[in-house]
Amino acid sequence: MRKVALRGLLARKTRLALTALAVALGVMLIAGTYVFTDTINRSFDRIFAVSLSKIDVVVTPNDDLTQDGDTPIPLDASLLRRILAIPGVHSAEGSINDQSGTILGSDGKPVSSQGAPMFVASLNGPTFESLTVAKGRFPQTADEVSLDKGTADREHFKLGSLVSVQGVAARKRYRLVGLTTIAGVPSLGGAAFATMTLPEAQRVTDKAGRFDAIDVEADPGVSAAALRARVRAVTPKAAVVRTGRQQAKSQSDDIESGLSFLSTALLAFGGISLFVGAFIIFNTFSITVAQRAREFALLRTLGASRRQVLRSVLAEGLTIGVIGSAVGLGAGILVASGLRALFKSFGIDLPSSGTVVEQRTIIVSLVVGVLVTVVASLVPAIRATRVPPVAALREGVAMPETRSSRLAFPAALVLSAAGVALMVLGLFVVSGTTSALSLTGGGAAALFVGVALLSPKLVAPIASVVGAPIERLFGLTGRLARENSVRQPGRTATTAAALMVGVALVCFAAIFAAGANKTIADAVDNGLRGQIILQNQAGFGAFTPEAGNAVARVDGVTTVSRVRSATTRVTGIKGKQSVTGVDPATFESVYKLEVRQGVPDAQSAIRRLPASGVLVETGYAKDHHLKLGSPVVLATPRSGPLRLTVDGIYKDKGKLVGSLVVPNAVLADRFGVVKDQVSFVGLRGGREDKGIKHEIDALLTADYPQVKAQTAAQFKQGQRDQINQLLGLIYALLALTVIVALFGIVNTLVLSITERTRELGMLRAIGTSRRQVKRMIRLEAVITALIGGILGVVIGVVLSILVTRAINDFTLAFPVGTLVAVVIASGLAGVLAAILPARRAAKLDVLQALAYE
Amino acid sequence: MAGRRATLCRMIVSATDITRRYGTGEAAVEALRGVTVAFPPGQFTAIMGPSGSGKSTLMHILAGLDRPTEGSVVVDGTEIVGLDDGALTQLRRDKLGFIFQSFNLLPVLTAEENILLPLSIAGRTPDRAWIDRLVDTIGLRDRLRHRPAELSGGQQQRVAVARALASRPAVVFADEPTGNLDSKTSAEVLQLLRHAVDEFGQTVVMVTHDAESAEVADRLLVLRDGLLAEDSAGTVSADAAGA
Repeated sequence: MRKVALRGLLARKTRLALTALAVALGVMLIAGTYVFTDTINRSFDRIFAVSLSKIDVVVTPNDDLTQDGDTPIPLDASLLRRILAIPGVHSAEGSINDQSGTILGSDGKPVSSQGAPMFVASLNGPTFESLTVAKGRFPQTADEVSLDKGTADREHFKLGSLVSVQGVAARKRYRLVGLTTIAGVPSLGGAAFATMTLPEAQRVTDKAGRFDAIDVEADPGVSAAALRARVRAVTPKAAVVRTGRQQAKSQSDDIESGLSFLSTALLAFGGISLFVGAFIIFNTFSITVAQRAREFALLRTLGASRRQVLRSVLAEGLTIGVIGSAVGLGAGILVASGLRALFKSFGIDLPSSGTVVEQRTIIVSLVVGVLVTVVASLVPAIRATRVPPVAALREGVAMPETRSSRLAFPAALVLSAAGVALMVLGLFVVSGTTSALSLTGGGAAALFVGVALLSPKLVAPIASVVGAPIERLFGLTGRLARENSVRQPGRTATTAAALMVGVALVCFAAIFAAGANKTIADAVDNGLRGQIILQNQAGFGAFTPEAGNAVARVDGVTTVSRVRSATTRVTGIKGKQSVTGVDPATFESVYKLEVRQGVPDAQSAIRRLPASGVLVETGYAKDHHLKLGSPVVLATPRSGPLRLTVDGIYKDKGKLVGSLVVPNAVLADRFGVVKDQVSFVGLRGGREDKGIKHEIDALLTADYPQVKAQTAAQFKQGQRDQINQLLGLIYALLALTVIVALFGIVNTLVLSITERTRELGMLRAIGTSRRQVKRMIRLEAVITALIGGILGVVIGVVLSILVTRAINDFTLAFPVGTLVAVVIASGLAGVLAAILPARRAAKLDVLQALAYE
Repeated sequence: MAGRRATLCRMIVSATDITRRYGTGEAAVEALRGVTVAFPPGQFTAIMGPSGSGKSTLMHILAGLDRPTEGSVVVDGTEIVGLDDGALTQLRRDKLGFIFQSFNLLPVLTAEENILLPLSIAGRTPDRAWIDRLVDTIGLRDRLRHRPAELSGGQQQRVAVARALASRPAVVFADEPTGNLDSKTSAEVLQLLRHAVDEFGQTVVMVTHDAESAEVADRLLVLRDGLLAEDSAGTVSADAAGA
């Protein structure tokens, strides 16, 4: 029996290849993700281990409550003196390692634009320095700098070039005297390192007399662990003391958790591809089982049991699964280096010391791929067992109608409803992020399957709608294409459903992005009262307050109101959150916050916000049962808990300030936050002024190039660009899903053509030209693809309405142009999918086709 | 010779010295070993012969569905050997009609649409009067809106006959048109073909293995081992007669 299955497979190599590909692409992404992230993690592990090998103990500030993109509150220099006094300390050194500054490239723009950090570092003594000079030397004066070789090469800097660095202090030009490597590699994941003398690094980062880390070397015979305990004893509780090995581990863990979001996202897309692949496998098996009904009947008359028939079909599924997964795994290993190249082209040069293929990668890839294939082929296999032996003797056997197919429609309705219910549950009821996400995702999957099962009923009506113009345009070939597409509605439905999934997600992403753009635009229009917004070039992250000071001195600038941010924990509430700092005196003149209730009253709550007061957002207040006068206790990084009382409750249509607002002075005193996240600039007369804007631009470029000044329109455009960039990435990943679906269309068409060989022969015999045959197949593919596209758009709209409902104040906007383009693109995709089948159909030899049984 | 050429000019289809070999070398099979035959307009010809005699191959070659290894075929004044697929398609569209053993109607189209199919493919407007006459002839006016699955075998074949005649082809080739029918419906279909010849002056070439079917024809050709063994019109080629 197994021989029958395998012979059958080998006899139809195209189908085997196409079906296996349906699995392979999903597995490829999964394997590729694992290999990619494992390789990066392993490389970073090695780099950290090497670079920290000579350090026995490291003291760092507690970074638990550090804002992303900022550096923790530095250690005091007095700590170094105390550590040096500890017996068993051979040497110790304080260093600066600050990532809030900006290194400028030869084009005057920051050297990193894609989120890879830029470090301003101090040069350590030979014992502690983890960088080595590959060319030139280390800096010796306050006017010299060395750069990591990766950045220098990318920016075409040579020894002797002038390199600008801006930290808290204004921009300064340094002479490049050395190119460095770390643990033998020229770049640490695209991060830029500007190394300068310690006093200069302290000056640039405004950390005179303070350090970001203190490295300690033990006397011979003193263990790192023992020394760590001694250092711990003299170090303030808020600081962290680790052995070198612990520090390496901690840094590796940081990288790993930083990558985990990426890998989860990539794995999710791999999962979606496999989900779509499952549709294709199911469909292919359904069709082939139907076509081979007589073969199964024959086997049954020859004495094969139902179980043997089942096994023979499943064996086929297993073989395809194994081949597909193996191919996917192999391709994944290749794709991993492709991903690395892709990231490199974005400026994120992730280190790679040899491709890492963990056992887990192999096992997960194979198991998932095989499982998906076998499960998807199970229903068709069971159907194959229902063919009665007598069917061998009859002509034109139809598959017997099973109980399951009679129940399909009500089951589909129930499944779709359950899918929506699950999503609603996940979006509106459950609060934990993980369970909410999995409920929502599971609900969406159920909805997809439900609609796929419903869609046989929808195929005919949709086909007549999209078929009508096609028929009018192409006459008979269009007519035949439409009729052929609805001949086996179940088959067309499943084929279209595979495309539907990808299209739905594309539409969902497009609608979501359009909504986000609209929400931001509305927020700016509603909330912004100032004329210019100051922001970090990167679009996020803190920047030096000196920039705001300088802008304030420009003639015509009336107000510079700073908004700052810190990370905190609120007693009684799980997880970290951010707290926003504002300047109570000026904030209202540049930004509109609707205070609903306040102390002493709603009008003056912001202006008179005391150091002991906090304003909370209405939704937050409701969720956590806060009223005016309620106590709120915040954890701070530098001192004990900060006790505040609610002095106002606001609604923030501009979505700028988050849930908690305190005065900037409190953030400075208790959180050590002195940098700005965003500043609003008010101009004379409250009107935009090109002249003043130019003056500010020029000033920032000269002294604070880390900061950009934007008008409201520029700010909105900038946000749009960022969202669209992310959208592009999502489209690229979803393209994989769409490609899998296209293979499905190819597969279905090829199988249908085989079934209709005689018909095609007759058509050719009575004068249909090859071109007409091709057109007919092409149009059939277009109709199938359009059904998938239309269903996908509808589901995408439904999904996005559901999901955005769960987001407070999200303005839903439908990018009608994009949605129409998506439908047209699916039609074109159908043309693409039809290339091979159409060629096959046109090439059929008329005589052989007529004789085909 | 001059007289013979003159005769050929009046012929709708004429084949000269047709040979057809399948395969090469030792495994080569000669399906036709030199057949010369011509069909005048308005004649109903039946081609008979045992299995493997080459009768189907001959018809396929006459219809441009297969290519002879050697020899020439002229259909309505056009030499068709060596034509490319496009020209052959055009030929089948304009000059030929086909009737198959297994009806080969398109299941997705109605009876009427099936009849009009060749015209639709060619993008020609149907001659309504002619189609009406055909529909009356096959006697299926009340079933025009039905799909093939709703028709009996005999009815389907009658639709197929109408389809073959719809474009007023120069010649209709029928390949075992009664092979799948019982004797009563067979007779109906044969009468229909007879009628087409008598009333419309249609040229019909029919391959059959059934002597009874062959009786309705004007002329009987018998093939044996790839050679024309018998021709009721008495024009058996010299080679074949000698063999």
